[in-house]
Amino acid sequence: MDVLDKLKNDWQKNGDRYPRISEHEIYGMLHKKSSSIVKWILFISIIEFAVFLTLSLMLSDTQNAKTMVNYMGEVLNITFTVIDMGINVVFMYLFYINYKKIKNTDKVKNLMANILKSRKIVSRYIMVKLIATFILALISIQYVHTYDPKWIELFQEAEQEGKGFVINLLYYGVGIIAILLFVALFWLFYKLIYGLLLKRLNRNYQELKKIEI
Amino acid sequence: MGSELERSFVEQLQENQNLIHKICRLYTDSEDAHKDLFQEITIQLWKAFPQFRGDSKFTTWAYRVALNTAITLYRKKSRTVNTVEFNNTIHKVNQEEYDYEEEEHLKLLYQAVHQLNDIEKALVFMYLEDKDYGEIADTLGISEVNARVKMNRIKGKLKKILNP
Repeated sequence: MDVLDKLKNDWQKNGDRYPRISEHEIYGMLHKKSSSIVKWILFISIIEFAVFLTLSLMLSDTQNAKTMVNYMGEVLNITFTVIDMGINVVFMYLFYINYKKIKNTDKVKNLMANILKSRKIVSRYIMVKLIATFILALISIQYVHTYDPKWIELFQEAEQEGKGFVINLLYYGVGIIAILLFVALFWLFYKLIYGLLLKRLNRNYQELKKIEI
Repeated sequence: MGSELERSFVEQLQENQNLIHKICRLYTDSEDAHKDLFQEITIQLWKAFPQFRGDSKFTTWAYRVALNTAITLYRKKSRTVNTVEFNNTIHKVNQEEYDYEEEEHLKLLYQAVHQLNDIEKALVFMYLEDKDYGEIADTLGISEVNARVKMNRIKGKLKKILNP
């Protein structure tokens, strides 16, 4: 008799050794809140969408943004806004469709795959938004350099003193490093949250996939 | 108390609660965690219950939801636990049926199973419940051949844990 068959005998013989939970207790449980990972993921995903949406709206309303629109021109600005909102809508739709597919009655592997996929959608969303932020920030730096009267004056003064190259290098260098730092910090923070949340799920999914190799 | 649906659910769950206890037995190692997982499985079953048509047995239907909860959905709370103590209390109930040596051996077996990973535990659970490989494979979403191969590997792994 192998190891597990011995256990099986005991397992099936001793079906009644567990404490009985009364109907009353079960009724109580039905009204308790679930703490499942899907709930957490939905909750955090909604917050992420909300944060980036608010950021988009808030940033377009500041004085700086209005000056930028002046520099850029109305057409370019509208194009950016449409692309930005389009990205938001597409990702939210994709997330919603995939979220609907998460069913606790599914095969174990499918359930895991669907949860991970819905995460991947939000993760791509964040990535696209961060890249867009990065590009927009670069464009802004360039526009400020070319159109902002205060900076133009500063650059001209520097040039007259023969320090044109140094001041330009400093301007772009500091600007780009600051943007990169911001994006990297955000990404790190984001990865940390999901690393912690999805560690076990990822491990189990890999384990299940390994069986098929 | 509650609607017709709720009554029917609670009745069937109460009747078949051993299934959930058994899963909790494999996936948790303290009384608190056992209760916690039991509750989450109950909530998940209740969420899925409106889709349960009754053309299969309640237990057959509940397997998947319960396993899915234990492996994927349940968020373990970090607690300091005393594994040995808990396993002992559960075993003492039927102690008189075994001689001491047998009892000790079974205890070691359960402890060995506890050392397996979540997926391996799922396979062991269904094996102990006498599910055939077709059903095991279907529940997990893998092929039947691979389920067999994996099961043999698990047996080997358990042997190694028991006789290092």
